[in-house]
Amino acid sequence: MMRAMTAILGLSLGLMELGACKIVPNPEPGSESAASQTDDDRMAAKAGEIYAAQLVPYVAQKAIELPTLTGALQGGFDAAGQAHGVRPQAEGSPWNFLLKGQGTVIEANRESRAATMALDTTGDNQADVTIQLGPVIKGTALRDAADFIVFTDYRDQIEFAKLARALNDRAHGAVKLPEGDLTGKTFRFEGAATLRTATDPILVVPTLLEAAP
Amino acid sequence: MKLTRRLMISAFGLAMTMAMPSFASAEGLIAIITPSHDNPFFKAEAVGAEARAKELGYDTVVMVHDDDPNKQLELFNTAIGQGVKAIILDNAGADATVAAVQAAKDAGIPSFLIDREIKESGIAVSQIVSNNYQGAQLGAEEFVRLMGEEGKYAELLGREADTNAGIRSSGYHDIIDQYPDMEMVAQQTANWSQTEAYTVMETILQANPDIKGVISGNDTMAMGAWAALEAAGRTDVIVVGFDGSNDVRDSIKAGGIKATVLQPAYRQAQLAVEQADKYLKTGSTGVDEKQLMDCILINADNADKLETFALAE
Repeated sequence: MMRAMTAILGLSLGLMELGACKIVPNPEPGSESAASQTDDDRMAAKAGEIYAAQLVPYVAQKAIELPTLTGALQGGFDAAGQAHGVRPQAEGSPWNFLLKGQGTVIEANRESRAATMALDTTGDNQADVTIQLGPVIKGTALRDAADFIVFTDYRDQIEFAKLARALNDRAHGAVKLPEGDLTGKTFRFEGAATLRTATDPILVVPTLLEAAP
Repeated sequence: MKLTRRLMISAFGLAMTMAMPSFASAEGLIAIITPSHDNPFFKAEAVGAEARAKELGYDTVVMVHDDDPNKQLELFNTAIGQGVKAIILDNAGADATVAAVQAAKDAGIPSFLIDREIKESGIAVSQIVSNNYQGAQLGAEEFVRLMGEEGKYAELLGREADTNAGIRSSGYHDIIDQYPDMEMVAQQTANWSQTEAYTVMETILQANPDIKGVISGNDTMAMGAWAALEAAGRTDVIVVGFDGSNDVRDSIKAGGIKATVLQPAYRQAQLAVEQADKYLKTGSTGVDEKQLMDCILINADNADKLETFALAE
């Protein structure tokens, strides 16, 4: 009964959230359709399962204000990472940060397939953070900033990479922006960014992006 | 000593190794099994693992499976018979290796995998692999930049059974395919091999004389392709590899191949031994089984600092 409820809830959530997604029936384990499902399909489904239900609330709950990060970075990169970052347990992994803030668009590039907009969050007319808008969203920040997504749970790097792509696709799909020039408009954001050094530009994959009043 | 032991193992096999008394070292024996050392990448792994194991007080036995799963299984049986404490492995196939690692586990011997994954978790204790997807994206970004975001190019693929061949190609295309003026005119496997890459490159050149770039799944194939391009007087073609070998480093410094992506193979092998040591002493490595190590772009700017699959600070 409980399971049926969950399934119905999941399905209705899925229908609400995933307008562009096709609903596929659960294949019989070991059946041909299970075998013929591609990595892309399976990871897209997995991303659909976790994005709205887990990832968006996770970011909302854990995100720190941008100045908290920039302040902490003054005290050293690793110290900032230890205090506020998430990173996989592999040696040499970069730090990932969950961030939130509000800023005015200084510059937007909507021509590129890897569209971005740069925000000034401090009022000095300088860009402090760049929001990735997609459709091409670079990197794996969203996947790697989530401590509940662990590489060991995935078959191999291919699957794990495709999960990152699928999560980025979800993030892009959720971006709703007004047409035309964004310069001067104000937005509130939440999202994830990967930093390899303290001086890396902060490039956020948004899980929330909304016009601020 | 090492050569003697290696010969003894291969010549007399299980019976002989069973009869041999325990080794002199305090901590016991660690088996290091990799593909053929003909590729300096695998040699660097073996050297790195061996050096760290000796520092930590272990004796080592170094073996090669030549990418033959049957041979790999024999080597595992030899190692199991020998009563090694742990196995450091760069494996001979994501599917075929599962049985070998399981056999070692059943015999109470933990395996620590480097470079290549197997398709199951929970059998090996560690799987430490380069972040091939991240590395391939780095290589592709540099390739696109060098190509001026346009032109005809060929891709040389690695061995199909190897997960790394697929993941690198996928990382390359996730970047390159975003540029509509980049046109792939050939995509062929050369099975990681320098000689095969030479032949494949010759054929591709004949069919596509207007080719502008070649992106290769590893450095040995990049070297083979570069040799074919040189022989054809086509040193204008942009070649990008993957691995960070000294051969490609030297080619970059001489203005030949343009870039590669360093996998920290030496460190990875050492790390596997460190995790084996910790596991043997405490029953846990303290980290997740599967670990991705980031790769580093190598071009004319930093090629000087590269030596034996490690970048000097």
